Amino acid sequence: MSGRDYLGEFEHIILLALLRLDDRAYGVTVRQEIEFRTKREVSIGAVYATLDRLETKGYVKSRLGEPTPERGGRSKRFFQVTAKGVVAVSRTHRALRSMTEGLDLVRSYA
Amino acid sequence: MMSQEFSVHPPRIATWLIGLFTSDHEAEAIPGDLLEEFSHLASKSGVAIARRWYWRQTGKTITHLAGGAFRSAPWFMAAVVVGGFLLHGFLHALPGKVLSEVTDRYLAFWSSHFQAYMWVLNGMMIAHLMASLLVGCMVALAAKGREMVATVTLALVYCGMGGVALVGAALVWVATDRPMNVAWLLWAGWDPFAIMVGGLIVRTRRAQGRDSLPKPLGMTGV
Repeated sequence: MSGRDYLGEFEHIILLALLRLDDRAYGVTVRQEIEFRTKREVSIGAVYATLDRLETKGYVKSRLGEPTPERGGRSKRFFQVTAKGVVAVSRTHRALRSMTEGLDLVRSYA
Repeated sequence: MMSQEFSVHPPRIATWLIGLFTSDHEAEAIPGDLLEEFSHLASKSGVAIARRWYWRQTGKTITHLAGGAFRSAPWFMAAVVVGGFLLHGFLHALPGKVLSEVTDRYLAFWSSHFQAYMWVLNGMMIAHLMASLLVGCMVALAAKGREMVATVTLALVYCGMGGVALVGAALVWVATDRPMNVAWLLWAGWDPFAIMVGGLIVRTRRAQGRDSLPKPLGMTGV
């Protein structure tokens, strides 16, 4: 297992957002889901830059939807986590759990 | 509600800027997502807030797209920018060489027609600008899909060099009381602009070609 198999923080967050949104995951919903849950302002550029990277790694696949008038006739790009992506999320989760095990983070470091 | 959403448009310049930096892959999705959120925000919180949000998103998005272009192909982008720099150096030297050849050969003519000589000098400056424009086009053509990132980077390199030259000239002026060649510095300041215009021409042509193609549907990636 190489170090590259682990996800970066924002990659991890994006994949979790895609898993939460399931088939409703496209730029707007992903951005809003992250803002709502993490309470930090995220740009659409950051979302797409990370999604493109994840797609290159094979963790995500995308498809274009139908053009809609509310978007000026432009299509939505829907994203979906691949089996490889789910494995990467689980692996990163396990690593984080293992690293935080036994640490009383709230009391010791807050 | 819906008619109000559609009557409000996001800032045109911001939309244009986003279009310059998005790759073919994102050309549909990113502007569409921004327009969708802008319309909702404008109807919910007002146009002024929506416009401010749109500009903030534009700035951050362009920064991320430019950074992403460098992260995805760092060596390729570095090679394109360095290649452009070397080509610019080579092409910029040409008008000067030609001019010195001509002035050396017809020295007697120039000395009695000083105005014509000045006209040729101005022509040389225009030739420099045309060379920069050509370099911008070449760099953009080489940078496939990352035209503006490559040309803006090259332009920023020249802006940095111009800034250093300006400070150097000012220091020499203070130290020796020799006047700065302000006209030449001003002309040199147009170089980065000409490079970006070159990139803009190629980018616009490519975008027109892309828009005329049928839009693909279906899964990409894995």
